[in-house]
Amino acid sequence: MNTTVPSNNSPMIQLKGVRKSYGLYEVLKGIDAEVARGEVVVICGPSGSGKSTLIRTVNRLEEIGSGSIVCDGNNIHQPMPARELNLLRSRIGFVFQSFNLFPHLSAIDNIAISPIRVKGVPREAAYAKATQLLERVGLADKAHAYPGQLSGGQQQRVAIARALAMEPPVMLFDEPTSALDPEMVGEVLAVMKGLAADGMTMMCVTHEMGFARDVADRVWFIDQGQIIESAPPDEFFSRPQTTRAQRFLSDLRH
Amino acid sequence: MISDIVAIIRDYWLLLLIGQYPNGPLGGLAATLMLSVLAIAFAFPVSIALALARLSKSPFLNWPVTALVYFTRGVPLLMLILWGYFLVPLVTGANVPAFLTMLVTLVVYQGAFLSEVVRGGIVALGHGQMEAARALGHSYLGAMRYVILPQALYNVIPSIISVFVATIKDTTLGYVINVPDLTFAASQINNQLLTQPFQVFFILAAVYYVICWSLSRVAVLTERRITRRRAGTAPQPTAKSLKLAALTDQPS
Repeated sequence: MNTTVPSNNSPMIQLKGVRKSYGLYEVLKGIDAEVARGEVVVICGPSGSGKSTLIRTVNRLEEIGSGSIVCDGNNIHQPMPARELNLLRSRIGFVFQSFNLFPHLSAIDNIAISPIRVKGVPREAAYAKATQLLERVGLADKAHAYPGQLSGGQQQRVAIARALAMEPPVMLFDEPTSALDPEMVGEVLAVMKGLAADGMTMMCVTHEMGFARDVADRVWFIDQGQIIESAPPDEFFSRPQTTRAQRFLSDLRH
Repeated sequence: MISDIVAIIRDYWLLLLIGQYPNGPLGGLAATLMLSVLAIAFAFPVSIALALARLSKSPFLNWPVTALVYFTRGVPLLMLILWGYFLVPLVTGANVPAFLTMLVTLVVYQGAFLSEVVRGGIVALGHGQMEAARALGHSYLGAMRYVILPQALYNVIPSIISVFVATIKDTTLGYVINVPDLTFAASQINNQLLTQPFQVFFILAAVYYVICWSLSRVAVLTERRITRRRAGTAPQPTAKSLKLAALTDQPS
């Protein structure tokens, strides 16, 4: 594999001139940005601005038109055999808005199946690890519940545990709380805060500005396919530079 | 009337059961069951392969299989059987037993129908499941095997069973190329008795009904069992059985 040994001060994620179009419509218009190791970046912006598309290009759920994305020293979008891409993907945790748990598997099977089938982890070790992860997200008692028996918040916490089971050095969150009832948002954010506190590198598309304020190291504000602001949260929230961001923030308050 | 039927069964039960065997090929109910089981056993994996090929982005897989499925679905089964029976020996010069011709034709024909059922089940699942599996590092086929198919096939169990039942009923068409199945045995009996076609073919219908009904029954029970397990209302596993399951269970 074309792997450069990542040193500790090289960025975890590096986006260079990332462009993507759907037909004639350009969703991403040249994104240049970096996420440092251990950094938590919150991506916000109006709907249709390209934030979900952007985060989905990082593990190549979406292809890009031009530019490059390097994650943990690996050039994600260069041509490579499918096997290699699968391996890279397994090293990037991804949490979906709609959870996408496997409904035919119990919570613990959801978590254990990928380490077993993708990484070849022995069953006992995989289930031991899955039990640990369920404890970590506060669902040890739900190990044998099926997704259909869990609340949205519980499902999303299992989904986070499922992504963590592959031991990725970086986690991507695509609006993890948008599909949840308001009273369940807190429990998911609490798990994410815990992850951030443990030093996980995180990229998170969210509308939870409280989370951004408390946890993020930086906020990227995206509008019309470009990052037009990138600043620490206190700076972004108190002194947004662009009129677009000012309007976005004032709209959020109302 | 009923006594006629009882008399026919009493006189001809062995012929109905195994045909002329051991003086001729194995026939009767045994042949029908063998043909059905083999046809279903082969058609099922074939249908999954065909469905995956039709879903493939590669035109080399997609186009020929799409053509095959359309062709097969548009031509009567009887036509395919007769073609297979007369053309294959003509073209290849090989002497193909009628049983084999019938089996292969059934597998192709029902495989094509079943592949549409399977494909429908996969497509109906939506993108989320595949994306989630790929994001975790599963290969396309791995995701199919462990995530997509267990759900898709479960969701289309009723349609799959319909095709299985149709397959069993279609084995009767083997009669036209002299496959010595149950139908063939019944018509032999009818030719000997001459005067009791209703009674003879009533027995035939009853036997087919029992076979197909049993299969539907097994399917319903299987479906219920899976549903119960997935709803989690099945007995909760004990610590011991869990440990065993962790070691031996295939994720389904």
